[in-house]
Amino acid sequence: MKKRILGTIAAGVAAALLLTGCAGGDEAAPAHDDTLRIGTMSVPTSLDPIDAIGGTMPFFQAVYDTLILRAPDGSYEPMLATEWAYDDTQTELWLTLRDDVAFDDGTAFDADAAKANLDRFRDGGGPNAAYLAGAEVAVLDATHLTITLPEADPGLLFYLTDSAGLMANPARFATEDALVTTPDGTGPYVLDTSATAIGTTWAYDRRDGYWGDDPDFSTLTISVFDNENAIVNGLKTGQLDSALLQTADQQLAAEQDPALTLQDVLFDFQGVLLFDRGGYVTPALADPRVRQALNFAVDRETMLSVVRDGRGEVTSQVWGVDTQGYDAALDDHYAYDPERAAALLAEAGLADGFELTLPRLTSIVTDNIATALQTDLAAVGITLTWADVDAGTALKQIFVDREFSGMVMNMGQSSSDWIAYSTLIAPGTFNFFGTSDETVQRIAGEVRALPEDQTADLYRELNAHIVEDAWFLPFYRMTYKLVTVPGIDVVTQAGQAETSIYNYSLAD
Amino acid sequence: MLAFLARRLGASVVLLFVTSFVTFMLLSLANQDVGRQLLGINASPEAVAAKNASLGLDRPLLVQYADWLVRAAQGDFGRSWFSSEYVTVAIGNRLPVTLSLVIGVTVLTAVVGYLLGVWAGVRRGGIDRFVQVFSVAGYALPGFLVTIVIVIVFAVQLRWFPAIGYIPITQSVGGWLSTITLPVIALSISAIAGIAQQVRSSVIEVARADYIRTLATRGLPRRLILFRHVLRNASAPALTVLGMQFVGLLGGAVIVEQIFGLPGIGAMTIQYTTRGDVPVIMGLVMLSAVGVVIINLLVDLGIGWLLPKARIS
Repeated sequence: MKKRILGTIAAGVAAALLLTGCAGGDEAAPAHDDTLRIGTMSVPTSLDPIDAIGGTMPFFQAVYDTLILRAPDGSYEPMLATEWAYDDTQTELWLTLRDDVAFDDGTAFDADAAKANLDRFRDGGGPNAAYLAGAEVAVLDATHLTITLPEADPGLLFYLTDSAGLMANPARFATEDALVTTPDGTGPYVLDTSATAIGTTWAYDRRDGYWGDDPDFSTLTISVFDNENAIVNGLKTGQLDSALLQTADQQLAAEQDPALTLQDVLFDFQGVLLFDRGGYVTPALADPRVRQALNFAVDRETMLSVVRDGRGEVTSQVWGVDTQGYDAALDDHYAYDPERAAALLAEAGLADGFELTLPRLTSIVTDNIATALQTDLAAVGITLTWADVDAGTALKQIFVDREFSGMVMNMGQSSSDWIAYSTLIAPGTFNFFGTSDETVQRIAGEVRALPEDQTADLYRELNAHIVEDAWFLPFYRMTYKLVTVPGIDVVTQAGQAETSIYNYSLAD
Repeated sequence: MLAFLARRLGASVVLLFVTSFVTFMLLSLANQDVGRQLLGINASPEAVAAKNASLGLDRPLLVQYADWLVRAAQGDFGRSWFSSEYVTVAIGNRLPVTLSLVIGVTVLTAVVGYLLGVWAGVRRGGIDRFVQVFSVAGYALPGFLVTIVIVIVFAVQLRWFPAIGYIPITQSVGGWLSTITLPVIALSISAIAGIAQQVRSSVIEVARADYIRTLATRGLPRRLILFRHVLRNASAPALTVLGMQFVGLLGGAVIVEQIFGLPGIGAMTIQYTTRGDVPVIMGLVMLSAVGVVIINLLVDLGIGWLLPKARIS
């Protein structure tokens, strides 16, 4: 009896193992139905356009159209605005709007609605409200308006493709928090509140009578996960149709499934943002030779190999590959050369090295990054100390109290040169000590006065100057993977990690 | 009985008050820069201050707590700072997921663990050795490893069950069963091991007691002694362990929820605690505290029913 039971169990296990070995991989790929299920780790704080930020834009793009569309290559195309043009001073932007768009309650989308949205975004205290700081919007007629800036801002068109350009129904503005969980826009989808569980799953239905081309998908679901392991399992089993994978191990897991399609996305770079180029906290950093020494001291190739299994591209520049200012030759400007680093330190009168303290946010600075950087810098005499900071107070310590000379950070690389400049180079959040020089100020002034298509040489000059003067210590651009299942086509979006909703379609 | 319930109710109110006060103070002291975290590093100091004021964080801590307490007593736990969900709705959306797991694990554990434990304690011999080996293995195998193996074999490879997600029972009973089966099995292995071991030990101990021997020598049928005396007395410790497991699983199924992508309370607790979302964390803590109170009460009543002697205390 006992033997029979054991024999049955053994047969069951063997059968299961046999089935396991046989299943998956060889099945013919059926045509995909017209549903799109996206997995993500980004969570929107609300669906009110004033709260929209980078990684959560797909949640908003589904229900809100923007004034201008940012195409996959980063160029600008008509959306709710059909035409636009700057005046000669680049401070006044004329916009012509569509005249055939309305919100669900019949409220027309017109220049008054656009002005109400832009004013509200500027004054709403959202994370990107500074995009429109000082901007004045004037309605010329139902389909024409102007945006007047206090000084030229070459990023304005980009902002209007992003959070500042999302157009909501102004009839809802009078009610506080009306758009937070029940968005009201003119986008290609409407939120299905009955199937949506805010915080975990957002479900959208294709909008009837959408003014533009109907999307291929009748339903769109965006589900939030807190780990990529579950996302990969969802992709492998067809429960998800697309997701962006950031971690090397989960990219590897997805690559092992031949049915999945993976595309490279280069968006974030990782490196040290050296805020203290004036030497306010660490005097040694005021000398460009010291900052150059830091750059020569780091073995980027080894670090990339150890930290990300080689999934990325080493670089010495902060301008992204989709910008005009990007110069591939600058990527290896600071090739690993500890002898040269030591010589530069000696030239700067720091032959015995110096001490540098950086905050350690464990979500970014993993053990192997911490050890690699510490070891590389120690080899040229620089003593790096990691200061443990609490996630709840880190931002205040770093950006408000200015306790540190720099920090290791993962930074997105926009497709807009001006965003790269205004984010990292101009005095502001990431240049809170306000350091600058004549070259930077000259180029920034010239760029402001020119149309964007005439600025490529200036941005390349600026990028080269920033690299030569070692404003930063970039390590590498990290390769992410945009994964899709059979039957779904998707195009990556320049200067954006999560691709735009518009870039998905059913495969032919 | 009524006096007992009244005493427990009074103690529970005090427990909930103390728990809420201590939790609120600890969370608030740890959260120094909520507006900045919400708006990001690009936001101006004025915008950050305005955001903090809109959340009421510019008021003294005791005033904030009193405000929270008054509203919570009326069932209004406020909104999540980070996702704008109403706390009751957010928890309400996720509670069925966790309750499905917890109840499923508890039922499976109670039935299988109890049967294995009784079988091993009564029969001894080979089955006893099997239960002991199973118990040791159940304890020793890391839960996340077991869960990963289960999901890879039965969901990713064999496709017998979904790898991720949850289907509400109201939407489809079959779908609900398919989404909770693997997580319940993954969570039950160590729980069954614990209950089986507990029941086995209790059965053996009670069976050796003098009064059981006396009953046997008086000629009472073996089956009657087993069911009326041995199992009744041996069940009380198992019931206590089962109650503790139930409470632990309310927030403790984190790894399983994460691996299966289940939007439950455990994963939610981690997410919102990491962000420092005080309104949601307070709601979760209160849910957990109420759960502890109710389960402890039920366990006490159950033990009182099983062992009348225990009712005195």
